[in-house]
Amino acid sequence: MNTAVARRTALPFSILVAAAVIFAAPLVVALLTSLKSPSEITRVIALPNELYFQNYAVAYDRMGRSFLNSIAITVPSVIFSLLVGAISGYPLAYMRGAGGRAVYFFLLTGMLVPFQIVQIPLFFLIRSIGLYDSIPGMWLVHTAYSVPFCTFFMRNFFASVPRSMYEAALIDGCTPAGYFWRLLLPASGSGLAALAIIQSRAIWNDLLFAITLTTSDKATPVTATIAGFAGSLQVEYGPLMAATLISLLPVMVTYLLFQKAFVRGLLGGAGK
Amino acid sequence: MPDFQLMRRKLQTAGMTHAIFLSLPVTLFAIFYVYPIISTFNLSLHSWDGFSPTPKYVGLRNYVVLLHQSRFYHAVLNNISWLVFLLLGPTSLGLLLATLLDRGMKGEAVFRVVFFLPFTIPAVAVAAIWRWMYEPTGGLLTTILQSVELGGLAQNWLGDPSIVNFALMGSMLWWTTGFAFLVFFAGLRNIPVEYIEAARIEGATPWQVFWKVSFPLLWPSTIVVLGMAAVDAMRLFDIVWAMTNGGPAYASEVLATQMYDTAFGRFEMGRASAISVYLLVIAGLIIMPYIHQLAKRVQDAEAE
Repeated sequence: MNTAVARRTALPFSILVAAAVIFAAPLVVALLTSLKSPSEITRVIALPNELYFQNYAVAYDRMGRSFLNSIAITVPSVIFSLLVGAISGYPLAYMRGAGGRAVYFFLLTGMLVPFQIVQIPLFFLIRSIGLYDSIPGMWLVHTAYSVPFCTFFMRNFFASVPRSMYEAALIDGCTPAGYFWRLLLPASGSGLAALAIIQSRAIWNDLLFAITLTTSDKATPVTATIAGFAGSLQVEYGPLMAATLISLLPVMVTYLLFQKAFVRGLLGGAGK
Repeated sequence: MPDFQLMRRKLQTAGMTHAIFLSLPVTLFAIFYVYPIISTFNLSLHSWDGFSPTPKYVGLRNYVVLLHQSRFYHAVLNNISWLVFLLLGPTSLGLLLATLLDRGMKGEAVFRVVFFLPFTIPAVAVAAIWRWMYEPTGGLLTTILQSVELGGLAQNWLGDPSIVNFALMGSMLWWTTGFAFLVFFAGLRNIPVEYIEAARIEGATPWQVFWKVSFPLLWPSTIVVLGMAAVDAMRLFDIVWAMTNGGPAYASEVLATQMYDTAFGRFEMGRASAISVYLLVIAGLIIMPYIHQLAKRVQDAEAE
């Protein structure tokens, strides 16, 4: 019996192992490269003779500041976008009839629009209100362009909360706003957590708004710095791989830590 | 006996509260979507370098000129190849991996993490890592081919116009399959075990169980994955921009990178706006059925 089962799963298992090796290889090679001295770098598959941390020092010199900028941009932007998503998802989950549906689809179209259609006017708009190349400017832009997805996500999450809870609260003398702040929001931890993870990835990883709206050390996030670093004529792969690994670490660690919340939130969001 | 008068008053305040809440997102949407879109349409009818005080009105000339440029057609074709690739590639690989893993496989947690991790990485990091993979002399791909005596197959992966798009798609497959995988994996978990058991007892082979039972029940997950793929194919920018900048000789250019180059590299704001209007129209045509599907789902849910 056991051998029959083993035989039945042997092929799928070996396919999965092969796929896992291919999926992991680029990251492993990047890690090894980041620890090699310039003379060893061309021997791609070999392990480094000795760990060469100089690459990380070079990377930190070139992108330390933009790493801090990325944190300063991402954390508040995520909080603002969650708040706006909840404020907008709440009425849309509880309103019945054509009006609410019209607003909902109006906002949803934003999820499907290619950003190129807003890019040029956005550049001039942000410059004219004095927020070009500034961190608050990035907060504003990231929050605004998160409205469609966060609305979609929170509306679906709130729609899964039993409506009877809302009606009971109103009968007990709670105002609709009070219900939102005191009952609904505190009970929505799992949805907000999942959305926070999705939003951290989207905002931390953004390149388009970063290269359009920032230009100096004052506000440039790490993605734009790495793009510049990689685009230079003589690419030094050691420091570049070190910089790349530093840049991907925060989001990757977040996902590893909060995997469960993310999957649960995704199921809630996707299943509706 | 419930107090109807009180209830009605409550519902009126509820309407007010809803309107006040909605005013914030609607205002943001008006300022950051509606106004710039109208403004882009307007700009596309002008010729403007971004500095001179008054844009010059040129009517539809920007649109007509683009229709006579092979560079423009090439980018449109690239977007369409990307659409086909993103609908099929990551979706089917993700579905395959999720299906194989969905049977209490040993080391399930490890596989899940390994397949999903690339999706958490910024596009520029994917680009940097894969430029190193594709390095024509010392990169991993060339090194592996040489070590199995197939060095003759090694190519200038990102430097050859006939290969560059496939190379980019390879890195994209690595980057985005994890998302499709996770959505399908979660979707498979939602299928009641009894359905599968019942089919098995009836004597269905695993192949039949998959196509007749699991796959139709996965439709909600499939819709999510395909919808995201279509949107990504139209928005595609960062991977191409960071890996090849549209090169060599515009071979890997898509509409978004061409638009960026036209606007912020050549300062032809009117022409660039016309490109983005074309992009919006193409995206609209492709994504409209998806919006329709979403709309129907909300109506169905409210009807229940």
